Amino acid sequence: MKKAIHFILSALALLFLFPVIETFFLSFYSNGGFTLKAWRELFFDCFIFYPMFWNSVLYSSVITAGSLFIIVPGAFGLIMVKKKISKWIFFLYLVLMMMPLQVTLLPNYIGLRDLHLLDTGMCIILPMLFSVFGTVLMHQYMENMEISQIEAARLETNSVFRVLLHIVMPQMKSCIYAVSFFTFIESYNMLEQPMLFLKNKRLQNLTVFIADADQYTGDILFPASVIFIVPVLLFYLLLHESLQQNVCKLTGGCL
Amino acid sequence: MSVNRKLRWEQKCIFCILPGFLGTAVFALIPFFRMIYYAFVRSQFRREFVFFRNFIRVWENDYFRLALKNSIFLLLRDVPVLMLTAVTLSILLHFFFKKDAWVKAAFILPMVIPTAGIVPVWKTIFGDLTGTLPVDLLFLWKNIGICMILMTAALEKIPDSVYDAAKTDGAGFIKTQLFITIPMTAPALFFGTLLSVMNSYKIFKESFLYYGTSYPPDYAYTLQYYMNNHFLKLDYQSLAASSIYNTLLSLLLILTGLRLTKKFQYTE
Repeated sequence: MKKAIHFILSALALLFLFPVIETFFLSFYSNGGFTLKAWRELFFDCFIFYPMFWNSVLYSSVITAGSLFIIVPGAFGLIMVKKKISKWIFFLYLVLMMMPLQVTLLPNYIGLRDLHLLDTGMCIILPMLFSVFGTVLMHQYMENMEISQIEAARLETNSVFRVLLHIVMPQMKSCIYAVSFFTFIESYNMLEQPMLFLKNKRLQNLTVFIADADQYTGDILFPASVIFIVPVLLFYLLLHESLQQNVCKLTGGCL
Repeated sequence: MSVNRKLRWEQKCIFCILPGFLGTAVFALIPFFRMIYYAFVRSQFRREFVFFRNFIRVWENDYFRLALKNSIFLLLRDVPVLMLTAVTLSILLHFFFKKDAWVKAAFILPMVIPTAGIVPVWKTIFGDLTGTLPVDLLFLWKNIGICMILMTAALEKIPDSVYDAAKTDGAGFIKTQLFITIPMTAPALFFGTLLSVMNSYKIFKESFLYYGTSYPPDYAYTLQYYMNNHFLKLDYQSLAASSIYNTLLSLLLILTGLRLTKKFQYTE
């Protein structure tokens, strides 16, 4: 019985991995044999690929790095200010976090239009920079923070910046990794925003490239997918332990 | 610490919240109220108050109804299957194969794979299969990870002694699962369901990439397609009205979900 269950689970797990493995395999496979043809076509014949790939990387890196400056102080402030308003703001963030794009896309669009930011790189970066997901996750993690250390530090300094840098950040290390990772994949995976906010093809990202796949010859899609997947895969292999723990923390606080 | 110093510390902490909150206000909250205003005027050029006319027009639109129907069907079809699979797999993994970390990692991995990277292979696997199955499976594949993480965390909190006690009273494996595991993991189950419901709402990206067109077959036309196509026409009034329908539906789901999660919270 136990062996049977073990077998079925392992088989299922392999089935779950199959699409990823198959993508790698197909990028080297064409007309019944091993070939680098698709890779050559992608690298040497498909010029639009490069700017779109670098846009993907650029947008997600800027968003990930920038959002940390908003998330860490934001969550810290919400924990430190012991007033009703912090509770309300947190609840607002929690609801906003779960709202689907169908709800937030039009308000985002209107905000960007009024600031004349449409069709610039900023219209992709700014709304994501203020996405509330990271703040919610960080807030949940900080609730178990050692307040006594902060109290002790405050006898020495009254600078929030120094407390954040020397006391809070070291405690939050694994949460910061997790938040950065999730922000990165979320922005790496954007489709609707670049599609609707940007008219200029050169500013769009790799997701849009794959959405428009019909315009290109079919073969290049698999190497493109491989290049798209690899960075995320590497990060995941490095971080998956702390990611799992942190997702639990997030939900622990909502429960 | 002097009162003065304490006050200044508190002010600084409020200052920490501000950037994030202002950003949210500028890009989400304030435009949200503008959107409500748009939903009640005739058009961008003739801004007279028309009561609920836009809402009625959207409601009577055949495509909106089709989209709403498909979105709700998708939710009713996929979320139960997803939850059932995730719960079964988590229980089996937890009670029989704690050591096989790679099995769990394999189920969690799809959660982080960017959708666009996996869609080409999905297309070759499912080829010219009609019906919603490919997108349903993509949803299951992508979302099982988060549900399993939640469920495993909840399972690990249940002390072994509870199961031992039930066993000495003669309860079998299935019985212990039904009467111990399910009630004790109820908050995680509700929260997982809530997340999955919202994620089923977000399935557009997967669907759009899979079909590669703004006008997919009728059975796959969900709410986000409707929104998207109106975006291209820049028909603010229909967009605003349907956004508000979506907001109300989402709020209803989220608030009920959070409430249920809290209510079934297990306390020692």
